[in-house]
Amino acid sequence: MIKKIQKQIEHLKAAGASYVDARWYPVEETNHLVMWNGNLKTAASSRESGVGIRVLYKGAWGFSASSDVGNLGALFEKALDNARVAAERVTVPIRLAGKESIQASFNSPNRIDPFSVPLTEKIAFLKELDEKLNRPGVDQRVCEMIFMRKQIIYLDSEGSEIEKNIIEVFPSMQVMGLDSRGESHSRKFSPPLSGATRGWETLDPHLFSENAGRIVREMNQVLVAEACPKGVRSVILLPGIMYLQTHETIGHALELDRILGYELAYAGGSFVKLSDFGSLAYGSPKLTARADATLPNSPGSFGYDDDGVPAQDNLLIDKGLLVGAITSRQMVEEANARAGKTIFSNSSGANRATAFYRVPIERMTNINIDPGSDGTLDDIVKSTEKGIILDGDKSWSIGSNREQFHFATDIGWLVEDGNITNVVKNSTYKGETVTFYNSLSSVGDQSTWEVRCVDSCGKGQPNQIMQLGHGVPVCRFDNVTIGE
Amino acid sequence: MKERILQTLRDLAAYALSKNVEAAFFYHEEDSFLMRCANSSISLNTNEHLIRLEITAFEDRKRASYEMITGLSKLDEMKQGVDSAAEMVKHAQPLNYQPTVPVYTETYIDESCFDPALAGISNEERLEYFNQAVAGLETDEIKLSGIFSSGVNTIAQITTRSEHIQYFKGSDAQVNVVLSHGTLKWEVIAEQSAQKKAELRPSALRRNLAFLLERYQHDTPQQLPLGRYDIVFGSAAIGDLLDMMNDIGFGGGSMKRGFSFIAEDQVGRQVFSNKFNLTDDPTRLETFPFKRDFMGMPREPFPIFENGVFKSFTWLQDDADEFGVAPTGHTVMHKSLVLGCGDKEGATLEELVLLPRENDLLYIPFLHYMNIVNPSKGLITASSRFGALLLKKDGSVVVPYNVRITQSLPDIFGDRLAWLSQVQAVYNTSMSYGGRNPTSIVVPAFLQVNDLEISHSNSTY
Repeated sequence: MIKKIQKQIEHLKAAGASYVDARWYPVEETNHLVMWNGNLKTAASSRESGVGIRVLYKGAWGFSASSDVGNLGALFEKALDNARVAAERVTVPIRLAGKESIQASFNSPNRIDPFSVPLTEKIAFLKELDEKLNRPGVDQRVCEMIFMRKQIIYLDSEGSEIEKNIIEVFPSMQVMGLDSRGESHSRKFSPPLSGATRGWETLDPHLFSENAGRIVREMNQVLVAEACPKGVRSVILLPGIMYLQTHETIGHALELDRILGYELAYAGGSFVKLSDFGSLAYGSPKLTARADATLPNSPGSFGYDDDGVPAQDNLLIDKGLLVGAITSRQMVEEANARAGKTIFSNSSGANRATAFYRVPIERMTNINIDPGSDGTLDDIVKSTEKGIILDGDKSWSIGSNREQFHFATDIGWLVEDGNITNVVKNSTYKGETVTFYNSLSSVGDQSTWEVRCVDSCGKGQPNQIMQLGHGVPVCRFDNVTIGE
Repeated sequence: MKERILQTLRDLAAYALSKNVEAAFFYHEEDSFLMRCANSSISLNTNEHLIRLEITAFEDRKRASYEMITGLSKLDEMKQGVDSAAEMVKHAQPLNYQPTVPVYTETYIDESCFDPALAGISNEERLEYFNQAVAGLETDEIKLSGIFSSGVNTIAQITTRSEHIQYFKGSDAQVNVVLSHGTLKWEVIAEQSAQKKAELRPSALRRNLAFLLERYQHDTPQQLPLGRYDIVFGSAAIGDLLDMMNDIGFGGGSMKRGFSFIAEDQVGRQVFSNKFNLTDDPTRLETFPFKRDFMGMPREPFPIFENGVFKSFTWLQDDADEFGVAPTGHTVMHKSLVLGCGDKEGATLEELVLLPRENDLLYIPFLHYMNIVNPSKGLITASSRFGALLLKKDGSVVVPYNVRITQSLPDIFGDRLAWLSQVQAVYNTSMSYGGRNPTSIVVPAFLQVNDLEISHSNSTY
């Protein structure tokens, strides 16, 4: 099969294509289990295979994909035909930043392949969790596991040949209850990533057991709590919401295709301008953010992206200063050309597609905030005069240029004069991105730093979902509007 | 091709029966084309031909499913899928209710939503549509973005309970054309949905774009003071609000699980303004309807709200099974929501702007990134986007920076609902996560809600 694909790549090059790549997925499997109030509502598996062809012709992309690889020639020709038509409306011909030709492989580190674990064992795991959540006050309980396995073989006209074998595991549990007014409240748990692997072995029954008790207890506290007050306070974001704050207002805002206007018809743009790199104070000096695709245990690490560029660890924000972006070979060239100078020396290796039948686009890797030097969560609370601790991603809505946002969280704990006072419900906060990050006044140390997974980040047309991670510490922001 | 699909399903059902497997088969075939523009170029031109087969195996109260992307020539692979589903269901855990296996009592073929002309539209025609929609409007600063998504969807179903098959085939197109300013970062949009090629109207999009562009290019933008405004929502905003109501309003399963702002005892009661009439109407071809649900129930117009009175929850078969209620024919990939008209004249933005008005009106055509703050209250939040305007009572028009609203659906569609347009528009709400699923909502072109608060106002674009 590889030889057949290489032959077709050579054929299209001879027909005038300036660049061709193919991603052949011999197999992609998923297994999805949902137990809701003790009912195994979903026991689903899927399997697919196919090939996606990307062709650059006279500065324009064409793409074609099919699960039927019986007529590869026609599939490659279709991709070239699509590029030929696209080339009729080109303002700036696409160019690709340079890269090395690579022959390599990447295997995500796993000790136990989740697809080798019997279904009965998986269901028993869920059933045990469900029983632990079945406690007074809990109206709805949801336990879920998603397993993924992909084999991807990447070939391009520049001589690269890369095989990737990736396994992911996404477990979670959630409880919901009704307060005295019939309003629904929830609390959830997804384990932070720890250890060096990402297979079935990462499911720690003790960790789930401990946290089952905790989320039930905290949800019951929310059910009888007062509403979150309206006003201005310091907000202390725990990793269970800080990861999403980072995702939405640093990660998406710094995707170079968004910055250059390639998502304007759908997901939106970015307030960031090319002239901001090296000059914009994105946050306070306590903020250092990076795109690190080298964390071994995270779905944001994949060895090589779908441009065939190796995974990297790149600074995005250095002590508050904007210095980098999430980039691909195409966008780096275009950004530098538009800016009239070299802003980006090469691709950051972040071009990924969700499946063989989608084209790669800029996707987050692991967008992390470096731990700080402001101590533990207790230390941060003690130094807070009037604040609120927030956790749990209930709702998120972001302006189309990622310039402002509104988040709701599952739980809040008020802080007065360095002490936690009481739990509040319906907690929300909002802000403007740059103002918010410049109000960052405390960053927790390594003890507060956790890597959180995102199993379904949506972007692009046709839509794609992607898996990634965020390593974040506890962070405190001052003068934030809450309770709206 | 149709006969080949039907025969394949019959073969699979026979295979399952030969293995004593109770199974339902869901065949989904898409031929999708998408031309995407950005920065005045075609940034992507793609097509995918994909066949998905979902096999659900049942064993008394146990259920498990296996999905594959496959091909009609791969019958053996599909049979292996049956074996996989059968093996999974052996190890599944029984539900505490009896799941219903569909029984089709007759073969049902519906190709009324299929237009061969739209299905056969070429790359060159898609490109020409874009060129006509923005003819003369692009500049060095004003750039074209957008998509022309079109395709053919084929769905077919059989179960081991009968030899009958359900078969649906339809064509669709979703077009949005955006003109944006390269450095100021504002955008204006014009959209259309089509079920037939003859419905494609690039000239109408061009007219709307030209009108908005005139204001955005030449007017001085303003940051609106926070406070309460009389807001006119455009069809896209209305469609997205109704889509949200579909999630946290009238779905019976959501209500039973505490994820709805409508309580069980509100059936028959006044919930919204008496101007509010919402129907699930599968007779409207613009909504790419299913006239049978996937359990085989015939679907007729189904009133959800009449004069603001809540008439009924909608029930998926699985929720109906779990909660012991009668299903309502809503086990479909999407409903066919139609919001009834009002009596206000004006079908286009140009006409709306010219209408006399007693107060300033904030026109919001599109709500970006709507999310649920509190489902029990129907509280949502979203930002304006794509060409909002402040229509001053003196007849002048101001371009505002974007604003955020955080409001409950009962507040938006309750007593503050001032009027709805006489004329309806079709808003395409299709998403393509997973398989192609063309979806549209029919809504009044505009509706006005008085005295709504904006909770955030941008100081720039």
